[in-house]
Amino acid sequence: MDVIWGVSVNEVAWGGLIAIYLFLAGIAGGAFLTASLTDLFSKRYPKVIRSGAYTAVVSIIIGLGLLVVDLGRPLSFWKLLLNVNMGSVMSIGVFIVSGFTALSVVYGYLIWSSAASQKQFNMTSANTEVTQTSVVQGLQAFRKPVAGLGVLFSIGTATYTGFLLSAVTTNNFWYTPFLGIEAIPFLPILFLVSASSTGLAATLIGAFNGGDLTAYKKVDMVLIILEMVLLFILYLSVEPIFFSGSMATLFWLGVVTVGLIVPLLLSFYGITKHKNVILPVCGMVVLGGLSLRYFVVYTGQLF
Amino acid sequence: MAKKYTMIINLAKCIGCQACTVACKFQNNVPDGKFRTKTPANELKGTYPNVSIYFVKEACQMCQKAPCVSVCPTKASYYNEDGVVLVDEDKCVGCLYCMTACPYDARFLNKETGAVDKCTFCYELKVSKGEKPACVSTCVGGALIFGDLNDPLSQASQFLAKHKGEVRKPELGTHPGVYYIYEGVVK
Repeated sequence: MDVIWGVSVNEVAWGGLIAIYLFLAGIAGGAFLTASLTDLFSKRYPKVIRSGAYTAVVSIIIGLGLLVVDLGRPLSFWKLLLNVNMGSVMSIGVFIVSGFTALSVVYGYLIWSSAASQKQFNMTSANTEVTQTSVVQGLQAFRKPVAGLGVLFSIGTATYTGFLLSAVTTNNFWYTPFLGIEAIPFLPILFLVSASSTGLAATLIGAFNGGDLTAYKKVDMVLIILEMVLLFILYLSVEPIFFSGSMATLFWLGVVTVGLIVPLLLSFYGITKHKNVILPVCGMVVLGGLSLRYFVVYTGQLF
Repeated sequence: MAKKYTMIINLAKCIGCQACTVACKFQNNVPDGKFRTKTPANELKGTYPNVSIYFVKEACQMCQKAPCVSVCPTKASYYNEDGVVLVDEDKCVGCLYCMTACPYDARFLNKETGAVDKCTFCYELKVSKGEKPACVSTCVGGALIFGDLNDPLSQASQFLAKHKGEVRKPELGTHPGVYYIYEGVVK
C-alpha cells in the first residue's frame, strides 16, 4: 500500500553509469585537447601528445560502451543514428560524439604509427625502412588537420555533456542559467572547464616522467581556480536543497576538498619547491571530476 | 477533424478505491511494481476531529508542449493525430532521457520490452474503437471524465465550461491536457 499512502520519492532515471560516462567523455575531450594543442603549437612534449591521444581513445570508447550498456535496449543503439530529432540535444550529441570518437581513433593511430616508425627506423635495415616509412610519412600529413578538427570536436564533446543535462528545462538544477542569463546555460561551461582540467590531469598522469611539465601544471592551476569560481557562482545560483543530505558530503568532500582545494595547495607547493607532486595532484583532480559528475547527475534528480 | 482528447479528474468524487489503478494494470499488462496510473493519497489536512484528505490520480498529463517529446533523440515519443502523447516502442532505445525530463514522473522503463512505457489514454485498445479508457469506465465514483475538447458538445467540454480546471505544475509551460477540479476538496 506504500504506493498509495507512502511518501513519493523522486526516481533516479540516470544513475552511476551515466555519471561515469559524462566523466569519461570529459576526460577524453580534455585529453584530446591537451594532445592536439601541444601537437599543433609545440614540438617539445612528445610524451604528453602520446599520453593525451591514447587517454582520449580509451576513455571515449569505455564511455560509449557504458552508455550502450545502460540503454533499455542495448542492441538497438544504432537506431540513434537512423532516427534523428534535430530538436533533441542527445540526437545532435550522438553525431558530435561519434565524430569525436572517429577522430580520436584516427589521431591515436597516427601518433602510434609515427612513434612505431621511429622505433623501426632504429631497428630495421635501410632497404625495408624506405617503403614503410614513406607510407607512414604520407599518413602523417593528415596529423595536423586531424588534430585541428579534433580540437573543435573535443570542445564539442565536453560542452555537449553539459548541454545534455541543461536542455532538460523541467529540471531546476540542470537548467540553471549562467549568472541568471537565460540564454546561457551553466552546466556546459562548468563541464568544459572540468573536462579540460581532468583531461589534462589524466594526460599528465600518463606523461609524468616526460620531463619538465611546469607549463602544464600552471595551466591546470588556472583551470582549478576557474572551476572554483564557477562552483561558487553555481552555489549562489541554486536553492540550498541541492547541496543537502548525502549530496552535501559528496560536494564538499569529493568535489571541493579532494578535487580542488588540496590539489591546488599541493600544486603551489610543488611549483615553489620544485617537488614532483604530479601523480597525487592529478589523481585527485580526476577523482574530483568524477565526484562532480556524480553530484550533478544525482542532485538534479533527487530534489 | 482532429480530436483533442482530455481527461478531467474531479477530485471531490474520488474515494481512493484504486479501481482505476487495477483496471489499468489489467488492461495494459503493466509489469509488477510499475504503474501507468496510480492514485496516491494527498497529505492529511487539519487536526482531529476536523481532518480531511483527498486523492490525486497520477498518470501522463498528455502535455501539448511535452518535454519528453522534445528531448527524445529518436522521435519515439510523439504526438499522435489526436494530440495524445505516445511512445513508439520500436523506435525507443531506452535511453531514459524522457524520464529525466518528465516533471510528473509519469514514465517508467518496461523491463519486458526494454522500452519506456506510460499511460496512452488506452488509445490503441479502447479509444480508437470509440470506447473510454479503462480507468474512466471503471471509476466507481464518477470522478473521471474523458472526451474531446474540440467537440463543444462533448461531456468534457461541457464540464470544463462550468468548472475551473487546473493543470499540474503550470509554471513549467508544459500545457498539460489533463485537468484537475479542486472544487469541494480542502487544498
